[in-house]
Amino acid sequence: MRSLSIVAEGPGRYIHWGVIQISVANLVIIVAMIILFVLALIVPFPSGHGQEADQERRQK
Amino acid sequence: MTTSTGVKSADESTDPGNWTNRLRGWLQGLVPPGEALPDRQPVYVASWIYVFGVLTLSALAVVILSGCVLAIGGVHWWHVSSLGHFVNSVHLWSVELFFGFMVIHLWGKFWMAAWRGKRAMTWITGVVLFGISIGTSFTGFLSQSNFSSQWIAGEGKDGINSTGAGAFFNVLNPGQMLLWHVVLLPLVVVLIVLIHIIQVRRHGVVPPLDADLEG
Repeated sequence: MRSLSIVAEGPGRYIHWGVIQISVANLVIIVAMIILFVLALIVPFPSGHGQEADQERRQK
Repeated sequence: MTTSTGVKSADESTDPGNWTNRLRGWLQGLVPPGEALPDRQPVYVASWIYVFGVLTLSALAVVILSGCVLAIGGVHWWHVSSLGHFVNSVHLWSVELFFGFMVIHLWGKFWMAAWRGKRAMTWITGVVLFGISIGTSFTGFLSQSNFSSQWIAGEGKDGINSTGAGAFFNVLNPGQMLLWHVVLLPLVVVLIVLIHIIQVRRHGVVPPLDADLEG
């Protein structure tokens, strides 16, 4: 029955915008990656002991 | 030559004609001393954008491990076993994460011009790795042994054949695609990953653009 269910799967949902045609699933993944990229740039990285030690060493 | 006590003679340890010595010297010179597995990094590395290279490597490790488990079970195992189905899903989703992390890693490195400071080979090996990874995942989709793989092979054959590669790379041959997927391409990927990491360790992590200008 599992193989039959694979056959019976419907087509994915697509977005059409001029010459651009993209599936909703792919669009969601691309948007999520862009959000993750932006977050990686703006979210502060937790400072560890190594960073503090580096700054102390620079001050010396 | 070894002495009667098993200790190497001085001549042997410095003999440039000895290929073992040359190989050892080459291996030791690949990465500067102490830089192979450093426990400290410059301050500018304390940013989430620098994490995505390691995340890509971690995902690749899961890809390879789950692929090895799938190889033990066999080609059709994941269609008839709930455990096989689970491992197959782990393999698929670790590949999804691998590509997601790798593309964000690529974006980060592109926008900080990571080829600066004699790091051109680091950038080039990364780009080549990206391309070969796409080919590896393509052969993976062709190895699913289901209607999806048949559809992809049917749709892909004309494009591949138009390049001339079809003479030795037949997407309609699932046996050939499976062997490319589990032997040849993973070997190439792992080899280039090693070269890429060695390049990173040789030249260090690229600094941000503003840090580079200040320096």
